[in-house]
Amino acid sequence: MKENVASTVVLILLLFLNINLLNGYSPPGKPEIIKCRSPEKETFTCWWKPGIEGGLPTNYTLTYHKEGETITHECPDYKTGGPNSCYFNKKHTSIWKIYIITINATNKMGSSSSDPHYVDVIYIVEPDPPVNLTLEVKQPEDRKPYLWIKWLPPTLVDVSSGWLTLQYEIRLKPEKAAEWETHFAGQQTQFNVLSLYPGQKYLVQVRCKPDHGFWSEWSPESSIQIPSDFTMKDTIMWISVAILSAIVCLIIVWALALKGYSMVTCIFPPVPGPKIKGFDTHLLEKGKSEELLSALGCQDFPPTSDCEDLLVEFLEVDDSEDQRLMPAHSKEHPSQGLKPTHLDPDNDSGRGSCDSPSLLSEKYEESRANPPTFHTPKVTEKPENPEVNITCTWDPQDIHLESKISYFHAGGSKSSTWPLPQPCHHNPLSSYHSTADVCKLALGPVSAATTLLDKTEKDVVEASKTIETEEEEKTDKPREVESFPSKTDQETAWLLPQQKTPFLAAKPMDYVEIHKVNKDGALALLPKQKENSNKREKPDTPETSKEYAKVSRVMDNNILVLVQDPRAQNRVLLEEPVKEALPSLRQNQAEENLACFTATPDNCRLQMGGVDYLDPTCFTHSFN
Amino acid sequence: MDSKGSSPKGSLLLLLLLVSNLLLCKSVAALPICPSGAVNCQVSLRDLFDRAVILSHYIHNLSSEMFSEFDKRYAQGRGFITKAINSCHTSSLSTPEDKEQAQQIHHEDLLNLVLRVLRSWKDPLYHLVSEVRGMQEAPDAILSRAIEIKEQNKRLLEGMEKIVGQVHPGVKENEVYSVWSGLPSLQMADEDTRLFAFYNLLHCLRRDSHKIDNYLKLLKCRIIYDSNC
Repeated sequence: MKENVASTVVLILLLFLNINLLNGYSPPGKPEIIKCRSPEKETFTCWWKPGIEGGLPTNYTLTYHKEGETITHECPDYKTGGPNSCYFNKKHTSIWKIYIITINATNKMGSSSSDPHYVDVIYIVEPDPPVNLTLEVKQPEDRKPYLWIKWLPPTLVDVSSGWLTLQYEIRLKPEKAAEWETHFAGQQTQFNVLSLYPGQKYLVQVRCKPDHGFWSEWSPESSIQIPSDFTMKDTIMWISVAILSAIVCLIIVWALALKGYSMVTCIFPPVPGPKIKGFDTHLLEKGKSEELLSALGCQDFPPTSDCEDLLVEFLEVDDSEDQRLMPAHSKEHPSQGLKPTHLDPDNDSGRGSCDSPSLLSEKYEESRANPPTFHTPKVTEKPENPEVNITCTWDPQDIHLESKISYFHAGGSKSSTWPLPQPCHHNPLSSYHSTADVCKLALGPVSAATTLLDKTEKDVVEASKTIETEEEEKTDKPREVESFPSKTDQETAWLLPQQKTPFLAAKPMDYVEIHKVNKDGALALLPKQKENSNKREKPDTPETSKEYAKVSRVMDNNILVLVQDPRAQNRVLLEEPVKEALPSLRQNQAEENLACFTATPDNCRLQMGGVDYLDPTCFTHSFN
Repeated sequence: MDSKGSSPKGSLLLLLLLVSNLLLCKSVAALPICPSGAVNCQVSLRDLFDRAVILSHYIHNLSSEMFSEFDKRYAQGRGFITKAINSCHTSSLSTPEDKEQAQQIHHEDLLNLVLRVLRSWKDPLYHLVSEVRGMQEAPDAILSRAIEIKEQNKRLLEGMEKIVGQVHPGVKENEVYSVWSGLPSLQMADEDTRLFAFYNLLHCLRRDSHKIDNYLKLLKCRIIYDSNC
C-alpha cells in the first residue's frame, strides 16, 4: 500500500516534470561569467554568458560584494558594456580588493545562479590600443632615410600621474610581406626604424601593456610609402657619368670614321681585284669582244720582270711636236709638233703613262686595222694604280733608261718618259694598257719593241742627223743620243711611247733601247727584257733587239724611218716564239696599214703569234 | 617525491632567477652607492626613486610568479580563494583603495605607508623562506623566488628610508608595522591548512607588492616629474 502510494507520487512527479518538459519551459540554465576587464585600472566591466534558456524570458542580475564588506550590491550598469555585461564605474570600483560577483538568472520557472567569481581589478587591466599613430620618413643629409613612428597612449589611461605605466610594442611590414617585424619600444611613445626597403609601402601597428597587465589589441594599420633610393647627388652623378661616356663614344666613333678607312685597310688590307693584265675595259665598252677574248688569252700571266724591263724602256717624249707622233690614231695629224697634243704637257711630265693610255685608246681606235690581239700579259703595270698594286721594279732600269730617255726629250717640249719611270696615278687603266702593250711588244719577238726602239732610234737618228752635223754615227750615235736632248729637236717627236699608248687591245708595246750603233751604222735596239741579253750586236732578232740599220726614208718631220736590216734578221740572240712570224707580220702589217703607215710597213705592224701590235714607227707616219 | 623529475626544471628556474638577480643587481649596483659612513654622499632623489621603482617592480613580478606557481601546483580545486578573503595582516594599515584616494594622500604619508608595509613583510618573508625550504616537495621555483624577494625587500626598505630621509628629513617615525602572526599556520601539520597558509601568505604578498609598486610610481611621478610622467 505504502509502496503503491510512493510509486504513485513518483509517477505523478515524473508526469509533472514531463509535462513541464513537454511544454519546453524550464528554469534558466546556470549563467557563467566569462570575462572581466579594466581598461585603465579605474573601472571595469564583466560579461557573462547565459545558460541554457528555459524557453521563457530570463532576467539576469549581477550581484556582488567586496572583500571585507558584507553588503551585497547589484550591478550599477548593465548597458554600457553591452548585452550581458555589467559596467563598474569609478565610484563602484575599488582597487586592491576582491570582488565576489554572481549572476542570477531568473525566469518564471525558476532561477539559477552562477558560481561566484572572484576578481581583483589590479589583475584584469587590459588597456585600449594606443592612438594617433603617425609615420614619417626622415631623410637626413648624411645618413640613409629612416622611418619615424610616433603615437599616443590610449585616451583613458592615466600615465602622467604614474597610475599606470605603459610599455609599447610596434610591428611593421612591407605591404606585400607575410611576416611582421616586431620591435619593443619600452615606455617611449616614438620609435625609429632604420632598416627599410626603399620604394616600398609599409604597414605599421602599435600596442601597449600596463606594467602588470595584459597586452592591448593592435592599433589600426597605418601605411607609408618609403621613397626610392636615389638621392639628387646620385642622380646628378649618374647623369654626368652618362654624358661623359657618350662624349667618349662619340669621339671614338668620329675617329673611326675619319681614319676608319685607313685603319680598316690596315687591319684588312684590300684584296686586289682581279684584273687581267693587258685587258682593257674600254674594249668592253666598245664591244670589241674579240680583243677581249684575245686579251684574256694572255700568256705568261702575271707578267714577269722582263716586262718591267721593257716597260722601263718605254719612252714617251711629249713635245709640241710630239703630237705628230702621238695621235697616230687620230685622224688629225697635227702639224709638225705644233699642235698640242690633247695631252696637257703638264700632264705628261713625269707621267708619260698618264698620257699614253688615253692616247692609246684614241690611237687604238683609229689605227686599228686589224684588231690587235693581245699577245701577252707579261706586262707590268707601269704606273701604279692605286687599285692595282703591281709595281714593276723599274727603278734600276728606270734610272738607267731615264738618263737616256731624258736625252730624247725635245727641249721645249716636255718630254714624258714613257710609262715606266714615273708611276702615273691617273688613268691607271690606260697606263695598264700601255704597259700591257709594252709587254706584249716585249714578249713577242719584240718586234714591237724593236719597232718602238726603231722609232726611237729613228728619231734619234733623225734628230741627230738633223741637229748634228755630219758625224760619224757610230761614235756619235751614242753621244748624239745622249746629247740629243740638248739639241732638243722639238721636231722629233718621240712619239713612240705615245704611239704605243693607243695600243689598247692588242698592241703590245715594245720597249726598245738603243743598245749601240754598230759599225754599219745600225742602231742596235734592245727590247727591254731581262731574259734577253741586253747586248745584241745585231739584234735584229725579232724578239729582242732588232737592228735597224737601214733607213728607209726620211720623213718630213725629220724622222728617220728605220728599217730592219734584213741581213741581221737571221741573227737571233733571243729566242722568242714569235720571232719567225715577224717578217711575215711585218709584211702583212705593212700592207694593211699602208694607209696609216707611211714607211716601214713591216715595222708598223707586227703580228706575233696572233698578237697584233702596231709599230710605233707607224704612228710617226700618221703625223705627216 | 619527484625531486628528480623536477630538479632539471627547478635548476633551470633557479638559473634563470640567478641571472635575473644578477642583472638586477647590476642595474641596482650601477647606481652610485654611497659608502657606508660617508657624510657628504648624496645620491640624487631621482636616482633613489628610480632604483626604488625598479626594485618594487621586480619584487611584484617575483611575487606574481611565485603565487602562480604555487596556485598551479598546490591549490587547484581546493577553493583557497574563497577563504583568502580579508585575511592579510596588513589590511589594518589604511591604504588608499583607488586612484583618487592615492592621489589625495600627501606624499609624506604615502611614503610612510610604503615603509610600514615594507617593514610588515620583513618577518613573514623570513619565515616564508624557512618554511618553504622545509617543505618536502619544495619547488625550487618558489624557494628561489622567496629568497630573492626577501633580499630585495630588504634593499627596498633601505632605499625607502633614504628617500624619506631626503624628502622628509628630521622626522623619525616610530617604526609602525603590522605584525604577522601566521607562522603557526605555516607550520601546521595539516597539509590543507598549511597549504592554505602558504597560499594566503603568497596571495597577500602579491597584493602588497603591487601596492608598493603602484605607490612608488605615483610618488616618483609626483615628486620627480611633477605629475608629468
